[in-house]
Amino acid sequence: MTLKFQPSPPDHVPADRMVDFDMFHIPEGVSDPAEIWHDLVRRGVPEIFYTPHNGGHWVFLNYADIVEGYRNYSIFSTYQTPVPPIEPFPVVQPQGVDPPEHNVFRRLLAPMFTPTAVRGMTAELERRAAVLIDRFVARGECDFITDFAERYPTALFLYLFGLPEERLDEFLVLANTFFRSTDPAARAQNITEIYAVLDALFREKERNPGGDIASAIVAARDAEGRQHPWEDILNCGFLLFVAGLDTVTNTMAYIWRYLATTPAARKHFRDRLDDPDAFLLGIEELMRINAVSNLFRRVTHDCEYKGVQLRRNDRVILPNTVANRDPRVFKDPQVIDLDREVNVHLTFGVGPHRCIGSVLAKREVMASLQQWLRRIPEFTLAENQPAGSVFGGSVMGFTALRLHWDVATGKAAADQSSTIERM
Amino acid sequence: MRVIANHDLCQGHARCEDLCPEVFATDAVEGKVVIADPEVPAGLEDKVRLAVRNCPEGALRVARSDGAAGEGAGQ
Repeated sequence: MTLKFQPSPPDHVPADRMVDFDMFHIPEGVSDPAEIWHDLVRRGVPEIFYTPHNGGHWVFLNYADIVEGYRNYSIFSTYQTPVPPIEPFPVVQPQGVDPPEHNVFRRLLAPMFTPTAVRGMTAELERRAAVLIDRFVARGECDFITDFAERYPTALFLYLFGLPEERLDEFLVLANTFFRSTDPAARAQNITEIYAVLDALFREKERNPGGDIASAIVAARDAEGRQHPWEDILNCGFLLFVAGLDTVTNTMAYIWRYLATTPAARKHFRDRLDDPDAFLLGIEELMRINAVSNLFRRVTHDCEYKGVQLRRNDRVILPNTVANRDPRVFKDPQVIDLDREVNVHLTFGVGPHRCIGSVLAKREVMASLQQWLRRIPEFTLAENQPAGSVFGGSVMGFTALRLHWDVATGKAAADQSSTIERM
Repeated sequence: MRVIANHDLCQGHARCEDLCPEVFATDAVEGKVVIADPEVPAGLEDKVRLAVRNCPEGALRVARSDGAAGEGAGQ
């Protein structure tokens, strides 16, 4: 097989733009994986630089260039982008195709993730969060990752796809292998299994359609009245499976880690439990400061961008966490201001591939935090955090986050809250 | 004061609807902004300006009701 999307050797990169940076390597002792990116800014490396690691790729470090990377798909494509380069790579729909082809599945999914659609899910978002928290609230401790942050978005995937809640553990295993396994054979087997599950699911929804997203995808027809190609249907299901799990899990992990160490922030949100607009404003700021995704693009043709020579198939990384603290765009970017008024963060990207689930993701975090604070108003990081529980890459985060709380305080708050609800 | 949306730029973040649902909505088909009445009701000018400045795509613009150019998005 001829490889078509391999980057060329970096002989077009001038020495002063070459930086030794491995996005997957978190040095020992670093407790926040995003710090390896902010360290680049502190060191004053060029805002457009190249690293030879992971097959070689560019990194953009300023807000304006990262926006250009998202918007200018004539140069920066989402088609065949993996870092390190892998061929062939699944063409996930619609994330992995450029406009105008991208619009087919984008338009199909858009109605399912609008604010109106998400408002219709609110009761279920809250109920599923409450069910999970109620399982461990009396214990006074949990591993936030395995007890909540992994389970919650996976449970919501089941809900959105019209699958029974009893299949949660099965889907958790599929997702965890996908996101964490480093064994190539296990990974290949895992992707085969995910596609087999999706295939069975879409076949079932074709026979017995419901009001869920899987049914809508399989029932959709193109301009000529035909069903979309089965491969695209599966790839769209695959995207929805992988895009909404790890990102939400780790965003939540960052947020709860921050809240566990910041009493004033816990109080801020507790004081706004009955003011959803103010609560959401705070969530928006937590989204800015806890941007876990570093997105990949592939250069479509040899060209010059801002005086830098780019070659076809060069990879470009867009680190949202860096864009979101650019002092040219954000006032006091390092300050976490839960009432921040102007907040054009890039956590969900911009342009044609803007995260289609952004409204849902924010409501997931909001519903979870509301339910959590009503039951566990005060909590801290446990003293026994396991070492080496952070990871970098295209999604950064934590494999463990042990939290601790006083059961009596939580119970008093819950009783009071249910009294208020009855009033 | 009037508020105008550029639908070529709008990508449906719905930040405007979060910040000022009195003026901005999101259509159910394309997921893009809908402004039922571009004439901003009295008392909502500040909220609308905030929504405009928070659009990540720079897709919103305010203009004076007499048609003269007004300020645009923050980018």
